[in-house]
Parts: sequence; structure tokens; C-alpha cells
Amino acid sequence: MNGAGTVLSGLAALVYALILAPIVVVVMLAFSADNFILFPPSGYSLRWFQALASHAPLLSALWLSVQVASVVTLLSLAIGVPAALALAKGEFRGKDALTGFFLAPLLLPTLITGLALLLFFTPLRLTATLPGLVLGHMTVTVPFVIRMMTTALSTLPHDIEAAAATLGAPPWRVVRRVTLPLATPGLIACACLSFLLSFDETVISLFISGPRASTLPVEMVRYVEGRTDPLIAALSVVLIIATLIVVVAVERLVGVARAVGK
Amino acid sequence: MIGVARLPLLLVPAGLFVLAIYAWPTLLLLRNGFNEVGPTGAMIEAWSLKTAADTFADGFTFELTLNSLQLSLSATTIALALSYPLSLFLFRTNSRFRGLLAVIAILPMLISSVVRVFGWLAILGDRGLVNTLLQSLGLISAPLRLVFNWTGVTIGLAESIMPYMILALLAGFGQLDRTLEEASRSLGASPLRTFWRVTLPLSLPALALAAGLGFVLSMSAYITPKLLGGGRVFVLATEIFEQATTNTNWPVAAVLAIYTLGLLLLLLVLSNLLARGLKR
Amino acid sequence: MSYLELAGLQKRYGSAVAVDDVSLSVAKGESVALLGPSGCGKTTTLRMLAGLIDPDRGTIRVDGSEITKLPAHKRNMGYVFQSYALFPHLSVARNVAFGLEERGVGKAEITRQVEEGLALVRLSGLGGRRPRELSGGQQQRVALARALVIHPSVLLLDESLSNLDAKLRDTMRHEIRSIQRSLGITTLFVTHDQVEALTMCDRIAVMNRGRIAQIGTAEDIYERPATRFVAEFVGRANALPATRDSDGKVLLWGASQPVAAPPQGEFDLFVRPQRMRLVPVSEPAGGSTVRVAGRVLRSVFVGDHVEVLVEGAGGQLTVEMPSGTTAPAEGAEIAVIWQAQDSLPFAREAA
Repeated sequence: MNGAGTVLSGLAALVYALILAPIVVVVMLAFSADNFILFPPSGYSLRWFQALASHAPLLSALWLSVQVASVVTLLSLAIGVPAALALAKGEFRGKDALTGFFLAPLLLPTLITGLALLLFFTPLRLTATLPGLVLGHMTVTVPFVIRMMTTALSTLPHDIEAAAATLGAPPWRVVRRVTLPLATPGLIACACLSFLLSFDETVISLFISGPRASTLPVEMVRYVEGRTDPLIAALSVVLIIATLIVVVAVERLVGVARAVGK
Repeated sequence: MIGVARLPLLLVPAGLFVLAIYAWPTLLLLRNGFNEVGPTGAMIEAWSLKTAADTFADGFTFELTLNSLQLSLSATTIALALSYPLSLFLFRTNSRFRGLLAVIAILPMLISSVVRVFGWLAILGDRGLVNTLLQSLGLISAPLRLVFNWTGVTIGLAESIMPYMILALLAGFGQLDRTLEEASRSLGASPLRTFWRVTLPLSLPALALAAGLGFVLSMSAYITPKLLGGGRVFVLATEIFEQATTNTNWPVAAVLAIYTLGLLLLLLVLSNLLARGLKR
Repeated sequence: MSYLELAGLQKRYGSAVAVDDVSLSVAKGESVALLGPSGCGKTTTLRMLAGLIDPDRGTIRVDGSEITKLPAHKRNMGYVFQSYALFPHLSVARNVAFGLEERGVGKAEITRQVEEGLALVRLSGLGGRRPRELSGGQQQRVALARALVIHPSVLLLDESLSNLDAKLRDTMRHEIRSIQRSLGITTLFVTHDQVEALTMCDRIAVMNRGRIAQIGTAEDIYERPATRFVAEFVGRANALPATRDSDGKVLLWGASQPVAAPPQGEFDLFVRPQRMRLVPVSEPAGGSTVRVAGRVLRSVFVGDHVEVLVEGAGGQLTVEMPSGTTAPAEGAEIAVIWQAQDSLPFAREAA
């Protein structure tokens, strides 16, 4: 049938330009030869990438973020996927209420969660520690994994598991031979997005990070607050490329809009 | 269906996690709202409403509330005005790049907020894209102040909530059957009249939900007001963070957090009621 | 001697009764259809048989042993799902092999049986394909082969042909019937399509609102429907409102008819349109013939027959004439006659 029409397409193009502007500008700025934020840059160079490669605080924060995000992803899948399996396949009383309970953390802004975690972790000396950051990020990723995997597991082809059962497969074999293989693309996409969610998590980290342990976004916030030079742009290019890899992977596997949508 | 009697056991680890690391800290936060702050700034365990009373007696809290509401209102309005045509375009287009276009529209949501804020600094800063452009065209002589004030925060915030609103709008357009628009056209309505009489009324519930979502996200946003505000923009979110970290005044932070949460809840209920009312 | 025995099966969902007191005996090698409109409980019954739904009450026995509480994977029932439910991540051969693998059959034996199974449904050589690379009819055959290679005690087919186009459905109908006969496998076939039920099964159980309304051969069901519902659901019928005259005879369209009326209550006479004949008004009724008079409203040519709509004192009725005969002109005064034994009185349902 007829598509979007010229007027609407034109408007959309304008909005796209606005959405993409900050990202495009950051990428161009990363190759700036200037000492400060000047756009368009007066010259181009790789000096800020070189500066980044020798900037110890940002590099160690990057390393910490990678560690945190890896552990967060593994643990979130380890406890989130079984829960999703129960919520998607189980038939027990109070299932809807339980689903609500598990997804509730997604409703609260991270500003509130971060504050609550600060109050909880300080007496336990968990702030600015790897376990503290991991647990903090998991308040976001565990509900996310449960939501995404519950959807993925309950949208398997109709009757496919019943078919396996009638052919003689006991329940755990059905899960192993049919449910999980069919949910694998969703599982990989879910892992990628969990990693990204943890890696980019800023507000909760700001509450519970300290000088001893800062994740990359926290260190970036501190840097931007203090100075305005294109170093962060160079780092941003690295992050944008990493994000795009994840986005392409997720899009191929399950579709981004489906994965992050409700 | 298939021997599932023991499945609920699989919920136990995640359940324990949510209880211990989410529910309990949230209760702790509520509890802290009843503590008092001593003259030295030290926290005193108590069950009183003194902190709450003091906080609400302070005119600054009222000012923060107004700031937050005003900022959220303008950011949401801008974001809605931009998200709506984009979502409608995505909903209608039959371009073979539709999938790619949809991904690009929600891409900012997946890119670190710090990166995007930094991009806005480069666009809106004194020597950023906009000022350089306007100066080279001779339209202005001195750079416009576009960041480290409300303007910058509003623009940055609007951009950051757009992906969420686009998703909400796309989800809501589900009931916007394209044949209805075709029916309207076949009955003699021009494209503009069709939009006005069919498309817009049918998408009002989605607009209400998207607006509610955008408003709530704006109210609780911290990074954008903090970095693009440059310390000159004060909203509830920045104040909560300052009280909790710099001042280590937990009771006040808790009171403000509970207060903000209450406001958010109210706003969500209102937008849902509005959406439901518009559906009739 | 019944091989499969359902007794008093019941399933409720909250206050809604899906299946209410279903009892059925099926002999070994027999093919029985569960026929009924959607929501009549036929699929629920089938799923209870396969162990996919737990019945609230009642028992299921196969070959003398009770299996009511047995989980699905221990029942050894071959289930062909409406959606086929082929495993998309496995090849056709692995799909067919699935049940044998679960039974721990040896590799070589599996290969042999899979080949045999695929040959039976005429899909030899397609074992390496993925299910989505096959046509709908081929997928249907894979599902059938997958259910057959486990040598099921009972074969359960759930609306198995409803996703195929009309031509293919015809072919598959005969194919499944001949496989079922040659293997002598006890079969239960759920369908809402009466042609399927009439052509593929030895006996038909017509279901309505969770209950079996009638069990019998195709002829029983069609010629001697036990209830008003069966008469309405199977085949087409004119429901003619009738009354009683003073001697208990039936009064139809103002004329007394040689048919005995039921003792009490309001009732309708059910008559199949193809049992009716159109005759000139001058022709008198015989002793055992029902006769009403009316006017032809219109005739509709439907390919293999012509439908003639007649209006008279008591309403309208439809007569089916074989095509090729000349239909009377519209507006013509005409009489409609049929054998008295072709009129089936059923009590009128409270609206």
C-alpha cells in the first residue's frame, strides 16, 4: 500500500538528523587536533586516541567495567533464566503476582535504586567494591533478563514442547532438547544486552562507586565535569563501536525493538 | 502442561536476590526518611516526621519541584513533538530499510548517556557546532549560551527520552489499522483531513502513555541535568544525589526520594487514566 | 473387547466446563472421529488422552491398564498436532528420530526405522531438509511419520488437515486412512469438518458443549441423529415449525401430515433438503408422503446441485435438486413432498 508520504518522510529525516547529531559530532571530535572542544575541529589527528591509550584512570575504569559487566551478565543469566523458565512454563498459583514482583525493579528509576543501595551497602562496606557494583547492576539486569527470557520462552512455536513430551521426552529432556535450543538466539541477545546495560549503567554506579573502584561511566562523568577536551570523544568512539557490534548482533538474533521494548 | 510441579523452585535464587538486594534496600530507604539529622549533621535513628517537616518547610524544596516539573514538561513536549512524526513514519513506511531505521531511532537508548551528553556539549557549547555556524553566517557576534543552563538540559533531556517514547508510540499504534486511513481516503477525506479526523484521534491514547513515560523519565533523570546543567541547574534528582553523597544527609535524601517517587506515581496514574479515557 | 476406554472424563477451567462426563470405547484398530464445533471440548479430550492436560475426574484405560495419571512422555501416544509442531532446529530425519532417541533405540536401528517411516509417508530422500524447507503437506507427513515410528498404542490426530488447501486435504485424507488401515492402528481423530469425519473413520462421536451427543457410524449419525444438535450440525436440514392437530397428527404449513407428533412440547420437523421433491400443485400426496404447498422465491445454482427456496404458509424451506434438472420458475406455485420417515421431530429449544 502507500508508504509514509513525502511530508512525513521529510519530518522524519529531520528528526533522524537530530537524533544522530550528538553521535556524529562525537565521532568527528574524536579525531580533532585541538586542545579543547571546538566544532568543527580546526584540524584532524589521532592524538586523543594516543592520549587515551596512556590515560591510566580511564583505562583501569574500563577494565573494571568489563569485569563487572562480565560477572553481572553471567550471574544474571544464572538466576534470571531459571526464573524465566518457571514463569513462562509453570502453572502455579500467584504466577501473575510473582511476575509483577520480579519485574517491579524495572519500574523504579535508578536514581531511587542507587540511593537505596547506597544506604544498604555503606554499613556493609560494599560500596566501591567489585561485589557491590555487581550486585547493584544486577538490580537492573536480573529483572531485564527475566522479562526478556520470559517473553522469549513463552513465544516458542505452539505445541512444540508438548510434541516432545508425547514422543517420550521427560520434562527436563524437553527443556534441554527443545526449549533451550529454540531459545538460544534470545539467550545470546539477552546476554549481549545485559552486558551493555551493566557496562553503561551510570546512576547506580555514581551512588556506590568510590575512589577505590570507579566504573568507566563514573570516571567519564568525573572527567567531563572537570575538563572539556576531546579525550572523552576518543573514548566514546570506542564505546560506540562496541555498542554497534552488540546492536547488530541483537538485531540479527531477535530484533532490537523486540528485545528492549515491553 | 509438562510435569511442572517443581518449576517454582527455579524462582528461589532470583526471588532471594530481589528480596535482599532490591526490596530490603528500598524498605531501608523508606525507613531512613523517618530518621533525624543532628546539629552536627550526624544521623540520629528515630521514628519521626521532623526531617520531612523541615524539608517541606524549606522553600527550596518547592522551587526544586517546580524546576523538575517545568523541565520535564518542556522536555516531554519537545520529545513528543519530534517522536510522533518519526514513529508515524516508522509505522507507515514500507521502505526495505524499515528495520534499520527503527534500530537507528532507538539506538541512543543503547549508547552511554555520558557519550551523548558529551555530543551535546560539542554541539551547543560556546565553540560548538551551533555557535560556530551562526557566527560564520554573521547572525550573531557573541556566542549564545546554550549549555550549562536550562536550555541545554532541556534539549539533552528531550533527546535522551525520545527512544523510549518512540517505542511506546510504536506499541500504541498497534490499533491504528491502516485500512481505517484508507477507508477515510476512499470516503473523500484529504490526507490532512484523514490525519486530523482518523489518525490523530486513534493515536491519542498512545500519545498520553508516551507523554507519561517521558515525563517520569525526565523527572528522575540525573546525568543530563548534572552534566549539561554545569552545576547551575537544580532539580529534585540533582538535589537527592547531592544530599546523599556530598552532604551524606541520608534522611533528607530519603525524604526527597520518597517525595519524588510519590510524584512519579501520581503522574503515571494520571497518564494511564488519560490514556484509558481517550480510548473510549 | 474395547482397547481404549474413556470413562466419565471431566475437565473444568474455573466455572467453565470444557469436557463434561465423556465416555467412549474404541476397539483395537478402529478409527473414531471426535466431531464438533470449536469449543465443544474435542481437543481437550484428545489432550487429556495424551497426558497434556490433567482430567479433573474420570479414567483413561489403554489395553486394560489405567493411564489416567501417567505423564505424557510415558504414554506412548502418537500425537499429530494441528500446527504439526515440528522441531525447527532439527532436520526432518532427526524430527522423525526424536521419539526413538528418547526410547534409547540403537543408532543403526533408528536410521532404518526413520527411513521406513519416511518411505511410508512418501518422503524418502528428504530426511536432510529442515522442516521450514518443506511444503505444508510434506510437513504434515513428517509429523505423521514422527508419530508413527514410535509404534504408538493410539494415534491421535488433532485437526490435522485443517491447515492444508482443499485439494491436498482430499489426498491426505485418503493417504492417512489407508496408512491407518494397513497398520491397523487405533486412531482418534479430532475434526470440525464432517466430510473428514465421515470419510476417515469407522465411527463418529459428535460432541457438543463438552459432552458426546451421539456415537455411531456415519450412516447412524446422518440418517438417525439422536439430538436436535446432531441433526443441525451434521449435514444440512430444514427445521420446520410444526404443531399438533386434535388426533395427535402433525400439522405443517396448515396441512395435516401422516407423521406422529412427540407427546408434548413445541417441536420442529427436520428434513434434509435433498430428500424433498418439487411436484406440481395438482399432484396429490400419497399415504406416507408429507406434502406442503408454496411459491418459489428463487433458485440458486451451486454447481453440483440447485437450491430452490420455497415460501409457504408456515415460513420458508430449501429444496435441493440435482443440477441438470430444470428448476421451476420464480413465483411458480408448487408443492413440496417427502417420505414421512424422512421427517425427524425434535423439541424446540428455549430461545
